[in-house]
Amino acid sequence: MKQFIFEYDLGMDMNPLQGELTFSEDGSITSTAEGKEFFRFYASEIKEAVVKAGVGCGLLFVKAEGKDDRILCRFTMTGLKQAGEFCKIVNFFISSGTAAFPEKEEKRVCDSCGRPMMSEINVCVFCYSKLGVMKRALSFAKPYVKQITISQVAGIIPRLMFLISPLFIRYLINNHLEPQIGTWGQILFIAAGMLTVRVIGDVLVIITARIFNRATIAVTNDLRIHAYAKLQSHSMSLFAKRTPGDLIRRIMDDTSTINEFVTDLGRWVIDMFFNFGIAFAVLLFINWQLAILVFVPVPIVIFLLRRFWGMMMARFERQWRQGSRCNSILHDIIKGIRTVKAFGNEKQEIDKFSKANRRLADIGENNEVLWSLLFPPIGFVMGMGEFIILFVGGWMVLNGNWWILSGNMQIGDLMIFTMYLGVIYGPLRWMVHFPRWLANTTTSLVKVFEVLDDESELKPVANPVNIPISGNVDFNGVFFGYKSYEPVLKNITVDIKPGEMIGLVGKSGVGKSTMINLAMRLYDPNTGKITINNTDLRDMDSDHLHESMGVVFQDSFLFAGSFYDNIVYGKPDATFEEVIAACKVANAHDFITQTSDGYNTHIGEGGQTLSGGERQRLSIARAIIKNPDILILDEATSSLDVETEASIQESLNRITQGRTTIAIAHRLSTLRNADRLIVLSEGGVEEVGTHMELLKKKGMYYNLVMAQRQNSRKQEEEQKAEGK
Amino acid sequence: MSEINTQMDLGVLDVKDLTFYTADGGFTGLKHKGEDYKHIVLRRIMPIELPNEYISIADHENKEIGILRDVSALAQNQREIVQTELDNRYYSPQVIEVLSVKDKLGYVYMEMKLKNMQGRIYDKSCAIKDVSRNIRTLPNNSVLIFDVDGNRYTIPQIKDMSKPSQKRLDAYLF
Repeated sequence: MKQFIFEYDLGMDMNPLQGELTFSEDGSITSTAEGKEFFRFYASEIKEAVVKAGVGCGLLFVKAEGKDDRILCRFTMTGLKQAGEFCKIVNFFISSGTAAFPEKEEKRVCDSCGRPMMSEINVCVFCYSKLGVMKRALSFAKPYVKQITISQVAGIIPRLMFLISPLFIRYLINNHLEPQIGTWGQILFIAAGMLTVRVIGDVLVIITARIFNRATIAVTNDLRIHAYAKLQSHSMSLFAKRTPGDLIRRIMDDTSTINEFVTDLGRWVIDMFFNFGIAFAVLLFINWQLAILVFVPVPIVIFLLRRFWGMMMARFERQWRQGSRCNSILHDIIKGIRTVKAFGNEKQEIDKFSKANRRLADIGENNEVLWSLLFPPIGFVMGMGEFIILFVGGWMVLNGNWWILSGNMQIGDLMIFTMYLGVIYGPLRWMVHFPRWLANTTTSLVKVFEVLDDESELKPVANPVNIPISGNVDFNGVFFGYKSYEPVLKNITVDIKPGEMIGLVGKSGVGKSTMINLAMRLYDPNTGKITINNTDLRDMDSDHLHESMGVVFQDSFLFAGSFYDNIVYGKPDATFEEVIAACKVANAHDFITQTSDGYNTHIGEGGQTLSGGERQRLSIARAIIKNPDILILDEATSSLDVETEASIQESLNRITQGRTTIAIAHRLSTLRNADRLIVLSEGGVEEVGTHMELLKKKGMYYNLVMAQRQNSRKQEEEQKAEGK
Repeated sequence: MSEINTQMDLGVLDVKDLTFYTADGGFTGLKHKGEDYKHIVLRRIMPIELPNEYISIADHENKEIGILRDVSALAQNQREIVQTELDNRYYSPQVIEVLSVKDKLGYVYMEMKLKNMQGRIYDKSCAIKDVSRNIRTLPNNSVLIFDVDGNRYTIPQIKDMSKPSQKRLDAYLF
């Protein structure tokens, strides 16, 4: 028998407990914990299963006719989502008699280590493979393999040239200066040779770096576009789940981190290790015993660096976080500066920022002091290496042998040793930072891959049915909640005929805008379906659906650009006359022409230079310009004064004639001409009918209308009294 | 002009009119002026500063019945019912030791020893996102930690924790 098990983790006394609440195919609900069955009953005995979130915990209870609400179990917030899923299944069973179980359950435990998976992270933070992540990142470089290979192979030449330069000096000293037999001409010839090698090397560095950088920038660009395109394909759920800042950071900052890693890896790291290898080989060739002596201070340096670096990183991270906190305080104050000034709280805000900034300065000062105390000893140990080489090498130049070390050392050889020391110690210093660098990059990669791998809730269909949309919209047993444990719409069944004007009515938060969101397929229903001309929205291409819809939202968002740009956003190929016509209908034409540049006037980001009413009129024009088959008006005239609203309403009435229209309006009088009004209550349909029918019925709609009338009458009386 | 609170009825309830009880289904009920609410919700208006004062009492549809100004004004058995209901709604175990803190993929993964309100001690691990927002030091030096699932944990006084625990947390406190 199929079952859905919700694992709850708190007892009724709020102590930790591992229990299971099971819903079986036959409709039975049982609760067991520690081998005991607490209860068993059937879903048919109850009215509804409900999840209630508390603070840090939640509970699941059932409602039954004529009985007290009954708590079934308690759980920490970790179980909230699963509890919601449980209720959804039970409630669907109650309304339909069918047990519908999810195809796959969300992964909650890591397959490899058994640790619980965090709901926000798609990979186990302990088991993800850094190598696997890197491999996947490198796959993005495939189209640019040719450029990267050319730049790296060609890059060998300048690297060699850089390392050859000291050999010229060695040759000059050993063969011409130390025996003092060289002539000016020979010295000039060697110096010119050295200069030529250096110039060729530098030119080649510029060329290869350019080829390489171009390729790596292209890789990052591809990754960024890929992530952005993926984001656009998601339902609104993703945008509700992640903040805009988080998504922007993933697309812009994390891809930049990846770019820096790839660029630095190719340009400096390969360079560094190549130089290290060659330099070490040369030193071994000159005097292998002295070459090994170079590494004497290395273990001490690595030990010190690792120890200090860990401590410093934690401190710098703290400094970074405090900096980020100062940023967000500043951001918040500047964004709300109008409110700050209106309340005369400038001084208070200055104090708030100063306090945070002072703390940042203190942390920064402490870190700098510590940094300046810790790093000179490391430099000293490094200097010890140079001292050892200089002492032992110098001794060998003068006396031939030192302790067990022997060999024919000349002054030029000693010089090569001192010059190559930097080349040898550089990569060692860098290797200490490498794990952190790698960790930062893999973190960024995982975050970008999370966006790429996030499965959109709006599943694309292989063969979409793009039927002509004439406006027959049906809701069939639709259940939906933004959070699965909090259903907003419950069992909505509505049939909207082509050309019909529907008004959605109800108190705030009852699910009116949610119905509209579902009709536009910004989300998919949890259960049930929505069809247009008998075709499920899920079988249609979203682009095709949206081409046939015009929408005016309550919070009409406008993009940075001109009036014209914003209006043709609804129909990019619109003629100028269509733009004017749409603006005239929306009563926007007059205020647009009064601006200095008319339709070319640039409006600020989000239309911030306009009033609420002007923004709304523009968004009406943007919606109607494409002559949509289905028009959706979500509080389209709420920001307008009564007079302007009346004139737009008249135009809208003309436009909505014979066109399927779904409208929500706070002022119920604007919906009185609707063919049918659907009154929603607690997520369900309470009443359906025309304005007159519902008034006669004296139900919920009647009460809402009466309340509004009473309110306006009161306002009128107050105005009259003030007039007297 | 008089203060706003004298112009507006706050809906503070007289404790004499209140009788709390535990209903059959496990919810807390309330009898008030002839009305019997079988499923009420208690909310702390100032949960951090005043956990036992200014308790909003609402019915099962979240309509506020009124405000209980001070839990201690109730009789012993009444106080126990209210306290239990509040403890059941506000679940924030106390962190008594931080066993390990690891930065992984931009999340802080923490293993802790917790003590719940009933005194039970147990281990728990959690992941914290955006630590500067989700590890909050309050003016009274207590710390609130929120994990990615929405669970919350409390450290009443950071200085009362062991030195290793303080050291592990230090980089994340502001």
